[in-house]
Amino acid sequence: MDVSRLRESFARIAVHGDDLPLFFYSDLFIKHPEVRDLFPVSMAAQRSHLVDALVKIVSQVDSVEELTVFLQGLGRDHRKFGAIAEHYDAVGDSLLTTIRHFSGPAWTPELATDWNAAYDLIAAVMLTAARDDEGRRPPWWRGTIVASERRAFDISVLLVRPEPELDFVPGQSVAIECPSRPKLWRYYSMANAPRQDGLLEFHVRLVDGGAVSMALTSTNAVGTELRLGSPVGVLTLSSPPSGRDILLIAGSTGLAPLKAIIEQVAARPEPPPRIHLFFGARTAEGLYDLDNMEKMAAQQPWLTVIPSVSDDPRFGGETGSLPDVVARCGDWSRHDAYIAGPSDMVRQAADRLAAAGMGPDQVHIEDFGWSGP
Amino acid sequence: MTSMAWFEDEQRRLTPDEVQSVTFPVSRLGRRGLEEESVRAFLHMVHAEFVHLVNERASLWQEVQRLRHRILDGERTADEGSVLFGEADAHAHAVRILSNAQVTADRYVADAQAYSSRVTEEARLRRDDIMREAQQHADLLLDEAQGRAREAAVAALNVTSPPLNERERQAAQAELAYLRTYSDVYRAHLRAYTEGVLQSIEDWERKEAASLQEVTLGRDPGRQPSGEASLPLAPPNRRSIG
Repeated sequence: MDVSRLRESFARIAVHGDDLPLFFYSDLFIKHPEVRDLFPVSMAAQRSHLVDALVKIVSQVDSVEELTVFLQGLGRDHRKFGAIAEHYDAVGDSLLTTIRHFSGPAWTPELATDWNAAYDLIAAVMLTAARDDEGRRPPWWRGTIVASERRAFDISVLLVRPEPELDFVPGQSVAIECPSRPKLWRYYSMANAPRQDGLLEFHVRLVDGGAVSMALTSTNAVGTELRLGSPVGVLTLSSPPSGRDILLIAGSTGLAPLKAIIEQVAARPEPPPRIHLFFGARTAEGLYDLDNMEKMAAQQPWLTVIPSVSDDPRFGGETGSLPDVVARCGDWSRHDAYIAGPSDMVRQAADRLAAAGMGPDQVHIEDFGWSGP
Repeated sequence: MTSMAWFEDEQRRLTPDEVQSVTFPVSRLGRRGLEEESVRAFLHMVHAEFVHLVNERASLWQEVQRLRHRILDGERTADEGSVLFGEADAHAHAVRILSNAQVTADRYVADAQAYSSRVTEEARLRRDDIMREAQQHADLLLDEAQGRAREAAVAALNVTSPPLNERERQAAQAELAYLRTYSDVYRAHLRAYTEGVLQSIEDWERKEAASLQEVTLGRDPGRQPSGEASLPLAPPNRRSIG
């Protein structure tokens, strides 16, 4: 397999933009109509996911270790979409057809061999990871919404009963699919540490036009049966504990994974580190779970909760942008920071902490590298 | 200018991405330059057109290949029908039709989503407006109420109070007597406390002077002064009165 020839070939066909994945999926669905059911009605997001994944694979094809981790995750992730071994052959066939089609006169038997070898390798890594995963957990869990409480006009707190029991590490998330929005998966973090009754708490903010969030926050959501993917995510406490105190920065429903982490710390036998939780929203109404957090802080001497509001100067507590408030309130350079919330806020806060001298091993954020079906 | 390289090198072909990412040096101050936004917008158009042409060329090339094969096959099999339409053509057509259908479906979904997004956003903004108005209204009412209360208080001070009747007068006197007693008792307490403090300070001074004397006389410097000065750090027990 000639890596540079492969890259050259990919660069040549990449100029066709969206036509490339469009051709690929059409070819795939005509040859194997049964595969169409694994995908959502609109394929627009899907097409860009495919191109993104291809770009990533082709650019990393010579750094095997990193690529393998990515592909293993991809393989496990595809279990919840219902992908099986036969699909991999079908996809390989259509992918080759697509590349040949767009390569035009540049297509050679050598290129065909290169691409075949590359795809076989990719498929093998993904399938092996998927098979290994089969013995350990189901492709997806059934999750019934047993309670829904509207905390603000655009925020609901859901309680979901998973079947079978779903084990996870506090701070992790699962992809959720709603029956009314088939094949659209969105990630939500569990807002609790694993509980005796096995229930999962989710904090859902209604996104303008958000297909899944709208279905989840609808008033008659109780009783709805969701599908939950495998727990994923790296926003988890370091194990063994680093010994440093902890800074938690939560913007809006970014509170969910951090609340799970606090519960985890409270339940651990070892003496807890000091934890400062900054909980920010646009208005006081957006601090939808402040009562519970303050109740927790009243019981746990090691926990301090600092509410902050960005768009209402009359708010009684801290006001301003969350990263500003955090920076203003102390020197955190000797803490471990965990940040969750709107991606702009997360990025700004992480940059500010890094600029203030925090090392990369001290700042933890979630990275959803692969989020689509 | 880096972009000149394209024209100098015959071998190199311009790609759509290069059109998109080309940068030009900014013209020096005081010299006439082109408006950056317009240049950018034009480059965007060139890019789109470029992609379109590249795709069109690819499908034409495929078409040429297909026809060439058909002709060769037709010559070989002497079947004129297969020259016009073969199995591969059917698939190519199907792919094209499905692609068009998919793009149309995508557009419908995107439109519906954009519409839903617009409606919810407008509803949210409208809600924010209503909340803000309500808040302002509430503030206004509160200010007004406070203003009235102030006026009423001032008016009450200015107006001589109406004569009290006998029972009210007796009650007021009882109240006054109670307050006097209370203030007397409290003053007594305060005096006792202050005297206690003064007494302690005097004790302290006396004992300190005595121990210093002992030290200067060279007698057992390590000895602690006998009896610690006891400062009454808390006032005497406050008994409830009345």
